[in-house]
Amino acid sequence: MNRSAKERFFIPLYSMRSSFYDHLHPPTIPAPQARLRYTLGMGGLGVFLTLVVGFTGILATFFYTPTPEQAAKSVQELTFLVPFGWLIRNLHYWSAQLLILVVVLHLLRVVFTGAYLPPRRLNYLLGLSLLVVCIFLDFTGYVLRWDEGVHWALVAGTNLVRSIPLVGAEVYRILVGGNQVGATTLIRFYAWHLFGLMLILLVIGVWHLFRVRRDGGIAVPPPDLRTTHERIKRKELSRREGLAMLWATFVLVLLALLVPAPLAPGIQAGTASAREYLAPWFFLWVQQLLKLGDPFIFGVLIPLGVLLVVALVPYITPGRLSPAELGRWFPLGGRNVQILMAVLAGLIILLTLLALLT
Amino acid sequence: MRRLLVLASLLLFVATGFVLYRQYRSPIPLGITPSLTGQAEYCLTCHADLLEISQSHPVETFGCVLCHGGEPLALSADLAHSTMRGGSNPSELMVVEASCGGEKCHSGSSQVDRDHIQRVSSSLQATYAGAITQMRYAFGAQPDLTAQMGIYAIDGLSEFDPSTETSPALQAFGSNCLFCHLSAEPLEGDEYSRWSGCPACHSPAPREDGTLVHKLTTSVAYTQCNKCHNRGNYSLSDMQFHPREDAPTDRLGDYYQPIAGFTRCEWTLDCVDCHTRHEAMGDGHVYNNKKEIQYIRCRTCHGTTDSLPLSYIITEENDLALRLAFLNPVLDLKVGDTILITDKGEPLWNIRVQVGDGLSTPLYELFSKATGQRFTFNPVMGSTCLQEPDQQESRYCHECHAIER
Repeated sequence: MNRSAKERFFIPLYSMRSSFYDHLHPPTIPAPQARLRYTLGMGGLGVFLTLVVGFTGILATFFYTPTPEQAAKSVQELTFLVPFGWLIRNLHYWSAQLLILVVVLHLLRVVFTGAYLPPRRLNYLLGLSLLVVCIFLDFTGYVLRWDEGVHWALVAGTNLVRSIPLVGAEVYRILVGGNQVGATTLIRFYAWHLFGLMLILLVIGVWHLFRVRRDGGIAVPPPDLRTTHERIKRKELSRREGLAMLWATFVLVLLALLVPAPLAPGIQAGTASAREYLAPWFFLWVQQLLKLGDPFIFGVLIPLGVLLVVALVPYITPGRLSPAELGRWFPLGGRNVQILMAVLAGLIILLTLLALLT
Repeated sequence: MRRLLVLASLLLFVATGFVLYRQYRSPIPLGITPSLTGQAEYCLTCHADLLEISQSHPVETFGCVLCHGGEPLALSADLAHSTMRGGSNPSELMVVEASCGGEKCHSGSSQVDRDHIQRVSSSLQATYAGAITQMRYAFGAQPDLTAQMGIYAIDGLSEFDPSTETSPALQAFGSNCLFCHLSAEPLEGDEYSRWSGCPACHSPAPREDGTLVHKLTTSVAYTQCNKCHNRGNYSLSDMQFHPREDAPTDRLGDYYQPIAGFTRCEWTLDCVDCHTRHEAMGDGHVYNNKKEIQYIRCRTCHGTTDSLPLSYIITEENDLALRLAFLNPVLDLKVGDTILITDKGEPLWNIRVQVGDGLSTPLYELFSKATGQRFTFNPVMGSTCLQEPDQQESRYCHECHAIER
């Protein structure tokens, strides 16, 4: 085979796939890997929402001022005075909220289809850490509003850190940048939101996507155990993704039009005039737990315990689940972790509803 | 799949149309940066049609937020109004210090008479201490007529709490008779309609159809005073306020209490033409009853048979009289003019001495603060009046000068 000089020069690159996009979109993939009823399209949607939240976030950065006096004002300025600023902010808000929802549904899909089996254990943990990073990104973004709507959750959330024995006070000091929530807290949350957490999200996110293909694509039975050998081409995969993005964009624009992202008057220094005594929706279950007693046990240990249990899913009796059962919902061999996960999800939903209703 | 693609594209196209429509329909922000705050505010986007509240509070200097509070950059009504002080009334007494206070404005100034908020807060009209004292004394809750309690606690008065009173009459007084102090919600009806706090006197009342007039004025007509005064009677027998049911229009004939006597100036002038700032708004001290603070007599303007009313020549541009005349320019008062002054030293800035060379009889010209109408009058000295100089209560003057009703 004759190669051109250019091709010879780039042999190391060309010997791999020519781009990360092509890495994620091989020439063909088994058709069951791209069946909507199986995957729910949640992984792809997660990537799309991340891109939207990132792009709108970059635009918002041009207007946001991370000082206690100006933060809420600059959010109001973006929302009310910048042409299409309301659209940028609402899209940023809604894509961030939907991202958490999509990532959680993705996690549930993986658990309920047994897709965490080796060799996908590492990627399962990477995905779980992405959920944690997303939640922290959402919380830091929520705090950046610096208005009375977030005041209570900010104070309560950071005080939770204080309850950790031995290191609590020090971690709190590092987190908020002093003895109480103030200007340094805002700049630290800003830095985490724009830089620290984004960097982690980017590294783990790309790693996660890379591993998807490295682990053989979306979990389906090995070739010899498959019932169908139908494959779809790269173009078809891209077309489906394009369609999903179109629908997702429509839903985002519709939400941005109909339900504005929350806003409240800015936090006034030295006041405790919070207007809402509710945590952001993804922490409502923790808020409800906190009503039960000791903040360290109910606000720190139990949520961490839940995370640990979810992280251990691939390690709980994996031998029972055979690769032949992959590629469909609720395989019998994974019943134990399915029940465990359903109970955890049910409890979290129940606690969230209780927090909203009481 | 093609169908889904077409449908999604169509929906997204329509949604994009709505995005453009919404942006197109959103109001063009109208901002100002008031010189006193230096902070941009966009209230005028929706409120551009509001009248400037007074010539002393130009919008380009004060803006809106300095007095009203609120969110200066928000263009959604709910958010923009969420932090306003006192709703649409920032000078309600509970919030007035934050809205109108400060030593450059209406409180805390060391200059004489510029601490309006402290004075009003301790005045009888605000504390209602006079009525409360009378009632508590009458029903045995306190040993003498020294004011002990007010509607709220201030230095020298504790808060009147009817629920802690043992006398049922005082409890009834508490629930039935506290409609007339400055912080009280007025009774229903146009004839009672007024704001609370400073604008109870200084702003036109909200109209029955709900329209509000954005105006602060020192030109206070008698009709404004009568939103509280002359509106009915308290009855000790059933411990109720009995509001009058008529809507009087003839001021002399049916406005005032039938048994009272009035001279001509009492029903042709407006209340504020004679009654002073200290009488209406207090002088910073706690008084026990209205009599102690209301000190204007006929002789304040007319003098007695052996003395002219007190007067002084304005010598400084910063004279209080000139400042007050600037707020309500019903006359062209200037340095060098001679005006009357009360025996407590309050300038009667709307009464100018026209001929005061000491040789001929002086002529006084009074300009109504509410209408600007000019009246002239002469002093008692040099007239045919025979009233003893030491008998100057109004009842003596009414002997000859009360009008037949």
